[in-house]
Amino acid sequence: MAEMVRKSSVDEIVNHWVLAGSCILLALSGFAFLFHLDGVAGVFGGYNVMKDVHNWLGVIFALSLLYSMRHYLKDAFEYDADDLQWFKVAGGYLSHKVKVPPMGKYNPGQKLYYLAIVAAGIAITASGLGMWLMKDDATVLMYSHLIHNLAFVIFAIAVPVHIYLGTLANPGTFKLMVSGTLPLEEAKRRYPKWMKAAGRM
Amino acid sequence: MANESNSRKAILVTPEICIGCRACQVACKSWNQLPASKTKNNGTYQNPPDLESNTFNIIRFAEVPSKETPVRWLFVSRRCMHCEDAGCVKICPSGALYKTAEGAVAYDRDKCIGCKLCSTGCPFDVPRYDKEGKVSKCHLCFDRIAANMTPSCVKTCPTGALKYGDRAELIAEAKKTGYTTIYGENDLKGLGSVYAFKEEPKLYGLKENPALPSSVAFWHSYLKPLSWIGLGGVVAAAAIHYLAIGPHKEEKEEV
Repeated sequence: MAEMVRKSSVDEIVNHWVLAGSCILLALSGFAFLFHLDGVAGVFGGYNVMKDVHNWLGVIFALSLLYSMRHYLKDAFEYDADDLQWFKVAGGYLSHKVKVPPMGKYNPGQKLYYLAIVAAGIAITASGLGMWLMKDDATVLMYSHLIHNLAFVIFAIAVPVHIYLGTLANPGTFKLMVSGTLPLEEAKRRYPKWMKAAGRM
Repeated sequence: MANESNSRKAILVTPEICIGCRACQVACKSWNQLPASKTKNNGTYQNPPDLESNTFNIIRFAEVPSKETPVRWLFVSRRCMHCEDAGCVKICPSGALYKTAEGAVAYDRDKCIGCKLCSTGCPFDVPRYDKEGKVSKCHLCFDRIAANMTPSCVKTCPTGALKYGDRAELIAEAKKTGYTTIYGENDLKGLGSVYAFKEEPKLYGLKENPALPSSVAFWHSYLKPLSWIGLGGVVAAAAIHYLAIGPHKEEKEEV
Protein backbone atom coordinates (compact mmCIF):
# COMPACT_ATOMS: atom_id res chain seq x y z
CA MET A 1 0.00 0.00 0.00
CA ALA A 2 1.21 3.42 -0.93
CA GLU A 3 2.42 5.70 1.83
CA MET A 4 -0.34 8.15 2.77
CA VAL A 5 -0.20 11.78 3.84
CA ARG A 6 -2.87 13.36 6.00
CA LYS A 7 -3.95 16.73 4.60
CA SER A 8 -7.12 17.34 6.63
CA SER A 9 -7.43 16.37 10.27
CA VAL A 10 -10.60 14.68 11.54
CA ASP A 11 -11.26 17.92 13.40
CA GLU A 12 -11.15 19.85 10.12
CA ILE A 13 -13.35 17.37 8.31
CA VAL A 14 -16.07 17.42 10.99
CA ASN A 15 -15.84 21.20 11.16
CA HIS A 16 -16.13 21.43 7.37
CA TRP A 17 -19.25 19.25 7.17
CA VAL A 18 -21.00 21.07 10.00
CA LEU A 19 -20.30 24.31 8.10
CA ALA A 20 -21.38 22.82 4.78
CA GLY A 21 -24.55 21.25 6.15
CA SER A 22 -25.68 24.34 8.03
CA CYS A 23 -24.73 26.58 5.09
CA ILE A 24 -26.81 24.58 2.61
CA LEU A 25 -29.83 24.42 4.92
CA LEU A 26 -29.48 28.14 5.63
CA ALA A 27 -29.30 28.94 1.92
CA LEU A 28 -32.26 26.71 1.17
CA SER A 29 -34.45 28.28 3.84
CA GLY A 30 -33.09 31.69 2.85
CA PHE A 31 -34.18 31.18 -0.74
CA ALA A 32 -37.55 29.98 0.57
CA PHE A 33 -37.95 33.26 2.49
CA LEU A 34 -36.82 35.34 -0.49
CA PHE A 35 -39.08 33.74 -3.06
CA HIS A 36 -41.91 32.34 -0.91
CA LEU A 37 -41.10 28.72 -1.75
CA ASP A 38 -44.07 27.19 0.11
CA GLY A 39 -42.93 23.64 -0.70
CA VAL A 40 -39.53 24.19 0.94
CA ALA A 41 -41.13 25.96 3.90
CA GLY A 42 -43.49 22.99 4.25
CA VAL A 43 -40.55 20.60 4.56
CA PHE A 44 -39.20 22.72 7.42
CA GLY A 45 -42.65 22.71 9.06
CA GLY A 46 -43.98 26.05 7.84
CA TYR A 47 -42.55 29.56 7.81
CA ASN A 48 -42.74 30.03 11.58
CA VAL A 49 -40.72 26.90 12.33
CA MET A 50 -38.39 27.61 9.41
CA LYS A 51 -37.59 31.01 10.92
CA ASP A 52 -36.49 29.42 14.21
CA VAL A 53 -34.55 26.69 12.39
CA HIS A 54 -32.87 29.33 10.20
CA ASN A 55 -31.91 31.44 13.22
CA TRP A 56 -30.38 28.58 15.20
CA LEU A 57 -28.65 27.09 12.16
CA GLY A 58 -27.13 30.54 11.81
CA VAL A 59 -25.73 30.22 15.33
CA ILE A 60 -24.26 26.80 14.51
CA PHE A 61 -22.80 28.13 11.24
CA ALA A 62 -21.29 31.19 12.92
CA LEU A 63 -19.68 29.19 15.73
CA SER A 64 -18.33 26.63 13.24
CA LEU A 65 -16.91 29.40 11.08
CA LEU A 66 -15.26 30.94 14.11
CA TYR A 67 -13.79 27.55 15.01
CA SER A 68 -12.53 27.01 11.44
CA MET A 69 -10.26 30.01 11.79
CA ARG A 70 -7.80 27.92 13.82
CA HIS A 71 -7.37 25.71 10.77
CA TYR A 72 -7.19 28.19 7.93
CA LEU A 73 -6.96 31.83 8.95
CA LYS A 74 -3.16 32.02 9.27
CA ASP A 75 -2.55 30.39 5.88
CA ALA A 76 -5.22 32.56 4.26
CA PHE A 77 -3.22 35.69 4.95
CA GLU A 78 0.10 34.44 3.55
CA TYR A 79 0.86 34.97 -0.13
CA ASP A 80 4.07 34.72 -2.15
CA ALA A 81 5.33 35.25 -5.73
CA ASP A 82 4.05 31.83 -6.84
CA ASP A 83 0.59 32.85 -5.68
CA LEU A 84 0.75 35.92 -7.90
CA GLN A 85 1.83 33.76 -10.83
CA TRP A 86 -1.04 31.39 -10.01
CA PHE A 87 -3.49 34.25 -10.64
CA LYS A 88 -1.74 35.11 -13.92
CA VAL A 89 -2.42 31.64 -15.25
CA ALA A 90 -5.86 31.55 -13.60
CA GLY A 91 -4.81 28.53 -11.60
CA GLY A 92 -4.56 26.54 -14.82
CA TYR A 93 -8.32 26.32 -14.99
CA LEU A 94 -8.76 28.14 -18.29
CA SER A 95 -6.16 26.13 -20.20
CA HIS A 96 -4.34 22.87 -19.57
CA LYS A 97 -1.32 24.11 -21.52
CA VAL A 98 -0.12 26.79 -19.10
CA LYS A 99 2.40 25.96 -16.44
CA VAL A 100 0.95 26.31 -12.94
CA PRO A 101 3.56 27.35 -10.36
CA PRO A 102 4.26 25.02 -7.43
CA MET A 103 1.79 25.37 -4.60
CA GLY A 104 1.86 24.99 -0.85
CA LYS A 105 -0.91 23.41 1.17
CA TYR A 106 -3.50 25.81 -0.27
CA ASN A 107 -3.60 27.74 -3.50
CA PRO A 108 -4.40 31.46 -3.38
CA GLY A 109 -7.86 30.86 -4.81
CA GLN A 110 -8.67 28.71 -1.81
CA LYS A 111 -7.17 31.27 0.54
CA LEU A 112 -9.16 34.13 -0.94
CA TYR A 113 -12.27 31.99 -0.92
CA TYR A 114 -11.80 31.41 2.78
CA LEU A 115 -11.36 35.12 3.46
CA ALA A 116 -14.46 35.92 1.41
CA ILE A 117 -16.47 33.39 3.41
CA VAL A 118 -15.14 34.79 6.68
CA ALA A 119 -16.00 38.36 5.64
CA ALA A 120 -19.42 37.45 4.28
CA GLY A 121 -19.93 35.15 7.27
CA ILE A 122 -19.27 37.95 9.74
CA ALA A 123 -21.60 40.27 7.80
CA ILE A 124 -24.40 37.73 7.48
CA THR A 125 -24.11 36.72 11.15
CA ALA A 126 -24.08 40.25 12.51
CA SER A 127 -26.98 41.32 10.30
CA GLY A 128 -28.86 38.12 11.09
CA LEU A 129 -28.52 38.78 14.79
CA GLY A 130 -29.65 42.36 14.14
CA MET A 131 -32.86 41.17 12.48
CA TRP A 132 -33.40 38.52 15.11
CA LEU A 133 -32.69 40.43 18.31
CA MET A 134 -32.98 44.12 17.43
CA LYS A 135 -36.00 44.14 15.14
CA ASP A 136 -37.72 46.86 17.17
CA ASP A 137 -35.07 49.33 16.00
CA ALA A 138 -36.32 50.27 12.51
CA THR A 139 -32.91 51.50 11.31
CA VAL A 140 -31.05 48.41 12.51
CA LEU A 141 -33.73 46.20 10.94
CA MET A 142 -33.57 47.96 7.58
CA TYR A 143 -29.78 47.94 7.26
CA SER A 144 -29.50 44.41 8.65
CA HIS A 145 -31.90 43.19 5.99
CA LEU A 146 -29.88 44.89 3.28
CA ILE A 147 -26.50 43.61 4.55
CA HIS A 148 -27.90 40.10 5.10
CA ASN A 149 -28.97 39.99 1.46
CA LEU A 150 -25.70 41.47 0.16
CA ALA A 151 -23.71 38.84 2.04
CA PHE A 152 -26.12 36.17 0.83
CA VAL A 153 -25.32 37.08 -2.78
CA ILE A 154 -21.62 36.47 -2.03
CA PHE A 155 -22.46 33.05 -0.58
CA ALA A 156 -24.79 32.21 -3.48
CA ILE A 157 -21.93 32.85 -5.92
CA ALA A 158 -18.86 31.69 -3.95
CA VAL A 159 -20.17 28.45 -2.46
CA PRO A 160 -21.16 26.74 -5.73
CA VAL A 161 -17.75 27.71 -7.20
CA HIS A 162 -16.13 26.05 -4.18
CA ILE A 163 -18.28 22.94 -4.56
CA TYR A 164 -17.45 22.61 -8.27
CA LEU A 165 -13.71 23.11 -7.74
CA GLY A 166 -13.71 20.68 -4.83
CA THR A 167 -15.45 17.92 -6.76
CA LEU A 168 -15.85 17.70 -10.54
CA ALA A 169 -13.19 20.20 -11.54
CA ASN A 170 -10.44 18.53 -9.51
CA PRO A 171 -10.89 14.76 -9.43
CA GLY A 172 -9.45 13.30 -6.26
CA THR A 173 -9.93 16.44 -4.17
CA PHE A 174 -13.21 15.46 -2.60
CA LYS A 175 -11.65 12.59 -0.66
CA LEU A 176 -9.59 15.14 1.27
CA MET A 177 -12.80 16.11 3.02
CA VAL A 178 -13.84 12.48 3.56
CA SER A 179 -10.80 10.45 4.57
CA GLY A 180 -8.51 13.48 4.71
CA THR A 181 -5.54 11.54 3.31
CA LEU A 182 -3.85 11.16 -0.05
CA PRO A 183 -0.91 9.12 -1.35
CA LEU A 184 2.49 10.68 -0.72
CA GLU A 185 3.35 10.70 -4.43
CA GLU A 186 0.19 12.63 -5.24
CA ALA A 187 0.86 15.09 -2.41
CA LYS A 188 4.37 15.74 -3.75
CA ARG A 189 2.94 16.56 -7.18
CA ARG A 190 0.11 18.75 -5.99
CA TYR A 191 1.56 20.46 -2.93
CA PRO A 192 5.35 20.41 -3.46
CA LYS A 193 6.06 23.42 -1.26
CA TRP A 194 4.00 22.00 1.57
CA MET A 195 5.75 18.64 1.31
CA LYS A 196 9.15 20.32 1.24
CA ALA A 197 8.30 22.37 4.31
CA ALA A 198 7.14 19.19 6.03
CA GLY A 199 10.42 17.46 5.13
CA ARG A 200 8.73 14.78 3.05
CA MET A 201 10.56 15.60 -0.19
CA MET B 1 -53.30 43.62 -15.72
CA ALA B 2 -55.92 45.72 -17.45
CA ASN B 3 -58.70 43.63 -15.97
CA GLU B 4 -57.10 43.85 -12.57
CA SER B 5 -56.92 47.61 -12.62
CA ASN B 6 -60.52 47.80 -13.82
CA SER B 7 -61.65 45.73 -10.88
CA ARG B 8 -59.49 47.62 -8.43
CA LYS B 9 -61.43 49.00 -5.52
CA ALA B 10 -60.54 51.87 -3.26
CA ILE B 11 -61.63 53.97 -0.34
CA LEU B 12 -61.99 57.63 -1.22
CA VAL B 13 -61.42 59.92 1.75
CA THR B 14 -62.76 63.48 1.50
CA PRO B 15 -61.50 65.19 4.65
CA GLU B 16 -63.40 68.40 3.79
CA ILE B 17 -66.74 66.74 4.54
CA CYS B 18 -65.55 64.72 7.52
CA ILE B 19 -67.19 65.86 10.75
CA GLY B 20 -64.78 64.04 13.02
CA CYS B 21 -67.42 61.83 14.62
CA ARG B 22 -65.08 58.83 14.59
CA ALA B 23 -67.90 56.41 13.94
CA CYS B 24 -65.47 54.80 11.47
CA GLN B 25 -63.12 53.96 14.33
CA VAL B 26 -65.94 52.39 16.31
CA ALA B 27 -67.32 50.47 13.33
CA CYS B 28 -63.84 49.12 12.58
CA LYS B 29 -63.39 47.92 16.15
CA SER B 30 -66.85 46.41 16.09
CA TRP B 31 -66.44 44.43 12.86
CA ASN B 32 -62.91 43.33 13.59
CA GLN B 33 -63.66 42.62 17.27
CA LEU B 34 -60.84 44.81 18.49
CA PRO B 35 -60.69 45.82 22.15
CA ALA B 36 -60.38 49.46 23.19
CA SER B 37 -57.17 50.86 24.60
CA LYS B 38 -56.98 52.87 27.77
CA THR B 39 -55.52 56.25 26.89
CA LYS B 40 -54.97 59.58 28.61
CA ASN B 41 -56.49 62.88 27.57
CA ASN B 42 -53.69 64.87 26.06
CA GLY B 43 -55.72 67.83 24.89
CA THR B 44 -57.03 66.52 21.59
CA TYR B 45 -59.96 64.51 20.38
CA GLN B 46 -57.50 62.41 18.43
CA ASN B 47 -57.71 59.18 20.33
CA PRO B 48 -55.91 56.81 20.41
CA PRO B 49 -53.00 59.06 19.42
CA ASP B 50 -51.91 56.80 16.55
CA LEU B 51 -52.60 53.44 14.93
CA GLU B 52 -52.24 50.45 17.23
CA SER B 53 -52.37 46.70 16.84
CA ASN B 54 -56.00 46.95 17.94
CA THR B 55 -56.74 50.24 16.13
CA PHE B 56 -56.72 49.96 12.34
CA ASN B 57 -57.93 53.47 11.59
CA ILE B 58 -58.02 56.80 13.38
CA ILE B 59 -59.21 60.28 12.61
CA ARG B 60 -56.31 62.68 12.93
CA PHE B 61 -57.38 66.04 14.36
CA ALA B 62 -55.07 68.66 12.92
CA GLU B 63 -55.13 72.30 13.93
CA VAL B 64 -53.71 74.62 11.27
CA PRO B 65 -53.45 78.42 11.10
CA SER B 66 -56.17 80.26 9.21
CA LYS B 67 -56.90 83.84 8.12
CA GLU B 68 -60.69 83.71 8.58
CA THR B 69 -60.92 81.93 11.92
CA PRO B 70 -58.52 81.67 14.86
CA VAL B 71 -57.73 78.12 13.84
CA ARG B 72 -58.83 75.55 11.30
CA TRP B 73 -59.69 72.10 12.51
CA LEU B 74 -59.04 69.35 9.98
CA PHE B 75 -60.13 65.75 10.26
CA VAL B 76 -58.19 63.19 8.27
CA SER B 77 -58.69 59.45 8.23
CA ARG B 78 -55.42 57.60 8.78
CA ARG B 79 -55.19 53.93 7.87
CA CYS B 80 -53.34 51.53 5.60
CA MET B 81 -52.97 53.11 2.16
CA HIS B 82 -53.25 49.79 0.31
CA CYS B 83 -50.46 50.72 -2.13
CA GLU B 84 -50.50 49.01 -5.50
CA ASP B 85 -46.70 48.80 -5.23
CA ALA B 86 -46.84 47.64 -1.62
CA GLY B 87 -43.45 47.59 0.12
CA CYS B 88 -44.79 45.43 2.95
CA VAL B 89 -45.97 42.73 0.52
CA LYS B 90 -42.63 42.86 -1.31
CA ILE B 91 -40.48 42.46 1.77
CA CYS B 92 -42.65 39.97 3.69
CA PRO B 93 -40.56 36.76 3.76
CA SER B 94 -43.39 34.37 4.53
CA GLY B 95 -46.06 35.58 2.12
CA ALA B 96 -48.30 36.48 5.07
CA LEU B 97 -49.02 39.89 3.52
CA TYR B 98 -50.70 39.69 0.15
CA LYS B 99 -52.84 41.63 -2.31
CA THR B 100 -56.45 40.62 -2.83
CA ALA B 101 -58.21 40.70 -6.20
CA GLU B 102 -59.80 43.99 -5.15
CA GLY B 103 -56.40 45.54 -4.49
CA ALA B 104 -56.53 45.39 -0.70
CA VAL B 105 -53.35 44.60 1.21
CA ALA B 106 -54.52 41.82 3.51
CA TYR B 107 -52.64 39.35 5.68
CA ASP B 108 -52.77 35.81 6.94
CA ARG B 109 -51.98 36.11 10.64
CA ASP B 110 -51.05 32.43 10.95
CA LYS B 111 -48.35 32.80 8.29
CA CYS B 112 -46.82 35.89 9.91
CA ILE B 113 -43.43 35.08 11.46
CA GLY B 114 -43.24 38.37 13.37
CA CYS B 115 -40.04 39.58 11.70
CA LYS B 116 -41.35 43.16 11.47
CA LEU B 117 -39.74 43.69 8.05
CA CYS B 118 -43.07 45.04 6.74
CA SER B 119 -42.57 48.08 8.95
CA THR B 120 -39.35 48.86 7.06
CA GLY B 121 -41.13 48.40 3.72
CA CYS B 122 -44.04 50.71 4.56
CA PRO B 123 -43.72 54.38 3.54
CA PHE B 124 -46.61 55.33 5.83
CA ASP B 125 -45.68 53.74 9.18
CA VAL B 126 -48.79 51.57 9.20
CA PRO B 127 -48.00 47.99 10.32
CA ARG B 128 -48.41 47.32 14.01
CA TYR B 129 -47.72 44.15 15.99
CA ASP B 130 -49.94 42.48 18.56
CA LYS B 131 -48.90 40.89 21.85
CA GLU B 132 -47.72 37.79 20.02
CA GLY B 133 -45.63 39.92 17.68
CA LYS B 134 -47.87 39.28 14.66
CA VAL B 135 -48.73 41.94 12.09
CA SER B 136 -51.96 43.85 12.49
CA LYS B 137 -53.42 46.62 10.33
CA CYS B 138 -56.37 47.76 8.19
CA HIS B 139 -57.11 45.12 5.56
CA LEU B 140 -59.86 47.07 3.79
CA CYS B 141 -62.35 44.60 5.33
CA PHE B 142 -61.20 42.08 2.71
CA ASP B 143 -63.68 39.62 4.16
CA ARG B 144 -66.59 42.03 3.65
CA ILE B 145 -65.60 43.32 0.22
CA ALA B 146 -65.11 39.77 -1.07
CA ALA B 147 -68.82 39.31 -0.25
CA ASN B 148 -69.76 42.53 -2.07
CA MET B 149 -70.22 44.52 1.12
CA THR B 150 -68.53 47.82 1.84
CA PRO B 151 -65.81 48.11 4.49
CA SER B 152 -67.34 48.68 7.92
CA CYS B 153 -65.88 52.19 8.31
CA VAL B 154 -67.42 53.25 4.99
CA LYS B 155 -70.72 51.58 5.86
CA THR B 156 -71.05 53.70 8.98
CA CYS B 157 -69.73 57.05 7.71
CA PRO B 158 -72.67 59.49 7.97
CA THR B 159 -71.40 62.18 5.58
CA GLY B 160 -69.77 60.33 2.72
CA ALA B 161 -66.31 61.43 3.77
CA LEU B 162 -65.45 57.78 3.29
CA LYS B 163 -66.61 56.17 0.08
CA TYR B 164 -65.88 52.74 -1.29
CA GLY B 165 -66.15 51.57 -4.88
CA ASP B 166 -64.34 51.18 -8.18
CA ARG B 167 -61.15 53.14 -7.84
CA ALA B 168 -61.27 54.78 -11.25
CA GLU B 169 -64.90 55.79 -10.81
CA LEU B 170 -64.34 57.26 -7.35
CA ILE B 171 -61.44 59.36 -8.64
CA ALA B 172 -63.37 60.55 -11.70
CA GLU B 173 -66.35 61.46 -9.54
CA ALA B 174 -64.21 63.38 -7.07
CA LYS B 175 -62.60 65.37 -9.87
CA LYS B 176 -66.02 66.16 -11.37
CA THR B 177 -67.20 67.41 -7.98
CA GLY B 178 -64.38 69.93 -7.98
CA TYR B 179 -61.65 68.30 -5.96
CA THR B 180 -58.53 69.40 -7.78
CA THR B 181 -55.98 67.31 -5.93
CA ILE B 182 -56.29 63.56 -5.66
CA TYR B 183 -53.69 62.28 -3.22
CA GLY B 184 -52.45 58.82 -4.11
CA GLU B 185 -53.74 58.71 -7.67
CA ASN B 186 -50.32 57.73 -9.01
CA ASP B 187 -48.06 57.44 -5.96
CA LEU B 188 -46.68 53.91 -5.47
CA LYS B 189 -48.47 52.96 -8.69
CA GLY B 190 -51.70 54.19 -7.13
CA LEU B 191 -52.91 53.98 -3.55
CA GLY B 192 -56.01 52.07 -2.52
CA SER B 193 -56.82 54.80 0.00
CA VAL B 194 -57.14 57.94 -2.12
CA TYR B 195 -57.81 61.40 -0.74
CA ALA B 196 -59.72 64.24 -2.42
CA PHE B 197 -58.63 67.79 -1.66
CA LYS B 198 -59.19 71.30 -2.89
CA GLU B 199 -56.02 72.37 -1.11
CA GLU B 200 -52.53 71.00 -0.67
CA PRO B 201 -52.43 67.50 0.91
CA LYS B 202 -49.48 68.76 2.94
CA LEU B 203 -51.86 71.03 4.85
CA TYR B 204 -53.68 67.91 5.99
CA GLY B 205 -50.43 66.33 7.15
CA LEU B 206 -50.08 63.83 4.33
CA LYS B 207 -46.62 62.75 3.28
CA GLU B 208 -45.36 64.48 0.12
CA ASN B 209 -44.20 62.20 -2.70
CA PRO B 210 -44.47 58.93 -0.79
CA ALA B 211 -42.14 56.24 -2.14
CA LEU B 212 -40.68 52.91 -1.16
CA PRO B 213 -37.61 53.23 1.05
CA SER B 214 -34.65 53.22 -1.37
CA SER B 215 -32.96 50.29 0.39
CA VAL B 216 -36.10 48.20 -0.03
CA ALA B 217 -36.45 49.19 -3.69
CA PHE B 218 -32.76 48.38 -4.32
CA TRP B 219 -33.07 45.06 -2.54
CA HIS B 220 -36.18 44.08 -4.47
CA SER B 221 -34.96 45.16 -7.91
CA TYR B 222 -31.33 44.05 -7.75
CA LEU B 223 -30.22 42.03 -4.74
CA LYS B 224 -33.09 39.59 -4.73
CA PRO B 225 -32.73 38.56 -8.40
CA LEU B 226 -28.92 38.62 -8.10
CA SER B 227 -29.00 35.80 -5.55
CA TRP B 228 -30.53 33.26 -7.91
CA ILE B 229 -28.94 34.70 -11.06
CA GLY B 230 -25.56 34.41 -9.31
CA LEU B 231 -26.21 30.83 -8.24
CA GLY B 232 -27.62 29.84 -11.63
CA GLY B 233 -24.79 31.64 -13.42
CA VAL B 234 -22.14 29.76 -11.47
CA VAL B 235 -23.84 26.41 -12.10
CA ALA B 236 -24.07 27.20 -15.82
CA ALA B 237 -20.47 28.43 -15.95
CA ALA B 238 -19.29 25.29 -14.14
CA ALA B 239 -21.13 23.08 -16.63
CA ILE B 240 -19.65 24.99 -19.57
CA HIS B 241 -16.17 24.84 -18.03
CA TYR B 242 -16.46 21.11 -17.44
CA LEU B 243 -17.51 20.48 -21.02
CA ALA B 244 -15.34 23.02 -22.84
CA ILE B 245 -12.10 22.91 -20.84
CA GLY B 246 -12.54 19.90 -18.66
CA PRO B 247 -11.34 18.98 -15.19
CA HIS B 248 -7.82 19.39 -13.93
CA LYS B 249 -5.42 16.76 -15.25
CA GLU B 250 -2.42 15.46 -13.40
CA GLU B 251 0.78 16.38 -15.22
CA LYS B 252 2.07 12.83 -14.89
CA GLU B 253 -0.84 10.51 -15.33
CA GLU B 254 -0.55 6.91 -14.12
CA VAL B 255 2.63 7.07 -12.11
